[in-house]
Amino acid sequence: MGIAEFFQHLTNGLTLGGIYALIALGYTMVYGILKFINFAHGDVLMVGSYAGLFIYNALRGDASLGPWVLIAFFLAMLASMVISALLGVTIERVAYKPLRKATRLAPLLSAIGVSFILSNSAAWAFGTNSKKFHYPFDNTPFVFKGVVITPHQILILSVSLVMMVILKIFVDRTRMGKAMRATSLDQQTAMLMGINVDRVISLTFSIGSALAAVGGILIALDFKVYATMGTMTGLKAFVAAVFGGIGNITGAMVGGILLGILETFGVAIFGIPSGLKDTIAFGVLIIILLVKPAGLLGKDEKEKV
Amino acid sequence: MLNFFLLILIYSGIYALMALGQNVITGYGGMLSLTQAGFFAIGSYATAILSTRFGFSFWATLPPAALLSALCGLLIGLPTLRLKGDYLAIATLGFGEIVRNVLNNWDSLTRGPMGIQKIPMPTIFGFVINPYTKYSFLVMVVIFVAIAYVLFQRLARSRMGRALAAIREDEIAAEAMGINITKYKVYAFILGASVAGIAGSLQAVFTLSVTPGTYTFMVSVMVLCMVVLGGMGNFKASILGAFIIQLISYFPQLTGLTSVIPPQFKQILFGLILVVMMIWRPQGLLGREEIRYGNEEGEKA
Amino acid sequence: MKKSLLITVALVALISVSVFAGGSGETGPKIGFIGPMTGDNANYGILCNNSVILAVEQFNAKGGIDGKLKVTLVTEDSEGVPEKGLSAIEKLSSSDKISGLIGPVFTGVAFAVGERVQNEGIVMLSPSATHADITSIGDYVFRTVVSDGLQGEVAGHYFYEKLGYRTIGVLYAKNDYSQGLFEGMTASFEKAGGKMIISEAFQVGDKDFKTQLTKIRSANPEAIYIPNYTAEMAQILEQASQLGIKIPFVSCDGFSNPDIYNLAGDFTHGVVYVGPAQVAESQAYSKFKSDYEKKFGVSPDSFATNAFDGANILLAAMEKVYKATGKFDRKAIRDAVAATKDYQGVTGTVNFAENGDLVAYQGLYRVNGTTPEYIGTFTVVDGVLTQVD
Repeated sequence: MGIAEFFQHLTNGLTLGGIYALIALGYTMVYGILKFINFAHGDVLMVGSYAGLFIYNALRGDASLGPWVLIAFFLAMLASMVISALLGVTIERVAYKPLRKATRLAPLLSAIGVSFILSNSAAWAFGTNSKKFHYPFDNTPFVFKGVVITPHQILILSVSLVMMVILKIFVDRTRMGKAMRATSLDQQTAMLMGINVDRVISLTFSIGSALAAVGGILIALDFKVYATMGTMTGLKAFVAAVFGGIGNITGAMVGGILLGILETFGVAIFGIPSGLKDTIAFGVLIIILLVKPAGLLGKDEKEKV
Repeated sequence: MLNFFLLILIYSGIYALMALGQNVITGYGGMLSLTQAGFFAIGSYATAILSTRFGFSFWATLPPAALLSALCGLLIGLPTLRLKGDYLAIATLGFGEIVRNVLNNWDSLTRGPMGIQKIPMPTIFGFVINPYTKYSFLVMVVIFVAIAYVLFQRLARSRMGRALAAIREDEIAAEAMGINITKYKVYAFILGASVAGIAGSLQAVFTLSVTPGTYTFMVSVMVLCMVVLGGMGNFKASILGAFIIQLISYFPQLTGLTSVIPPQFKQILFGLILVVMMIWRPQGLLGREEIRYGNEEGEKA
Repeated sequence: MKKSLLITVALVALISVSVFAGGSGETGPKIGFIGPMTGDNANYGILCNNSVILAVEQFNAKGGIDGKLKVTLVTEDSEGVPEKGLSAIEKLSSSDKISGLIGPVFTGVAFAVGERVQNEGIVMLSPSATHADITSIGDYVFRTVVSDGLQGEVAGHYFYEKLGYRTIGVLYAKNDYSQGLFEGMTASFEKAGGKMIISEAFQVGDKDFKTQLTKIRSANPEAIYIPNYTAEMAQILEQASQLGIKIPFVSCDGFSNPDIYNLAGDFTHGVVYVGPAQVAESQAYSKFKSDYEKKFGVSPDSFATNAFDGANILLAAMEKVYKATGKFDRKAIRDAVAATKDYQGVTGTVNFAENGDLVAYQGLYRVNGTTPEYIGTFTVVDGVLTQVD
């Protein structure tokens, strides 16, 4: 394999990983605070993408490029973040909040139920065909010594990095972040310390869902918008989050990128048939869980007696 | 209409077998596993391949199907059972996806996405158990479910059942009492896996064709729902749960509404039922079966 | 114990209600459709179902059978799996008593359902189950789509002989349709003397093909064959262009869905594909296409086009049988379908071979900008590529 080809595979892996990381951040955010797998996260992402698409197309009209299209894109993204955040909070209120004291199984199944409702309602309302999300910018790729990278790929990587940093600062440095961490450690005690746990949880869901909307729209530029778009990408992103250490913000980023590279290199360099890409992802997940049950960057927690 | 209802009963029976297995794993062992679809697939493919390629009779494919599933159960169970709660769920979910992915890509053995067709019908003493006419097939399925039910009921009252109950309630206390946690958890996993494998064999001779697309993650979720809907740790409830979930998933056909309502509605309804059920009756319709040990009658107090 | 009693009573009540609800009488005959209406593959089922809806509606608008009996369509969801396909045909057969079936859409389901309709004696016309062995199930199984065998054969010969390619790479999905075409094309391309030098696969639902495309780019075949569904092909073309791949693409009938031009735009330029014969030229097709788009807001793909012909052939057969006998005998309807001769449909002239396969020719198209240009119609006779039109 030539040098250029190797670096092309590396670039492909990195940017695929960037996509996983982008969604994994939202998963990990919710899990970190609530210790709960939000199976409906991928579907919130899908709803956010549809909302973004409709608003964007309405604002953009027939224009395909230019400053107005960029503005329309950002407005659509903002609006879709708000819509997704509202959706996320509503879901939490209706389907998860009553289950906070139940067994772990109950919110998991409830989340699967919500996922069913959202994806099938979208298929019914918007149809099952893929819808194109026009690039608001010129996506002509850059070529460095035979290695190709598109502006869109660079955007995905940088947005996920920026989002990671902002989230990290928010959780580690702000008052609200502190309240979140307290809630994550012990809800009862946090409440006694005067923290409004309900508000913290709502905020967590709204941030997680707004992140999903950003991720969904950025991904949709390449992958298009369709009703089941959240399912498989969501599952892979979740694997990435667990891989990096679920609940750990840096871990989500690292896990996403590594998963993307592993999938790509497994096929490109280790000669695993390309149809077995999913097996690579899930196989690596199982191995990681066995060697380091809390994920790459997660802390192994000793069980309290 | 009657024919259609018989078919639902047969599917309910096949899924009930899987649900019984899930109940051993989740209801008794307290392990959140999402991999019944994987064992179901292994059983189906074992029967399909052995009977079409190697001329095995249906009955002769059952032991290999169960053993192979059990072996995979051991393989996945032994290492992953150290994992807790959600992590176990994800690891087992991953295993199920791997099984499907491998079946879809191992063309020389499974014919990949083309699937395997023309699986011979089961016969007993020269009598063909015909899935088209259904009556004899239903009888066969009911016998399988009854056997599994009786075996599992006895098991629940045995040393193993008590050990599993103790582990579920408090793992650390159980360990302190000298219960070998890993051993019993792996037993539960193997049992759950092999009965799902048998269910897979039955499925293969009912549909007479298998394709990898059948064994999705959704099947595992459905089976888990059956157990939870019925009531965890209650074998009777698992069977009831299987029947009710099948009724729900065929409700548009049963009510003659398929042409009236959009096809997505049954899935939406299913989602709604899950959410509502979890909020209002998380213990399931029948609730846990309380077993008074040392008493022949396990009747609820 | 009270609780289980209560639940049992509730269930019995539900069942009896449903049994009665199902029994409401309709006088007209019914036809059935089976396809994936939900799940990952729902789009293909829905597009075909739309066609059948349209065909039945237009038929009824003209008065229905013998000018008086309206036909009812009953659609059942297979979710793309044999298990649900079987329950669907069971229901259509035993409670709806359908006169004929359009579908199933996928090969795996078609095998399971095919065995069943053969046993029940219900005529079945699949618009899209392309596996070579489907029609060998029995004499009740027909299809209005060419088998992988024929399409792949024409494709392989044409790429080698007319386009002059000697090496080819393939990017296909691990589903029955895509893999069938890949195998069919490769066999005939290599028999003609060419060489398939690289084949890469992906799972249904994958959207990122850059790894596979980068590998194919390095193998540097003279052309890349992408036998896939519309959305995946659009994705492949766009990503290939991003990777700077200049190798020409060749494709299959999945390309005849106009939606490809919405999704992939200019990236489609230069693609040569094997599709239904003459469709782009025909008046009947453009009327069908505009009716379809007006009613459903989406464009029909080639399978949906096939489903439209299938439904009309079935309706015509039913009318013929009714006019002759005054009833809808399933066996007679099968015979009438089999006797279809030079039916002028939206896919061109339809005839069935002895085994229920479509006797068909393949159209060749080259995309110029975003417009497919008709090259000619071909078939393979005794292993030799022959131009028919």
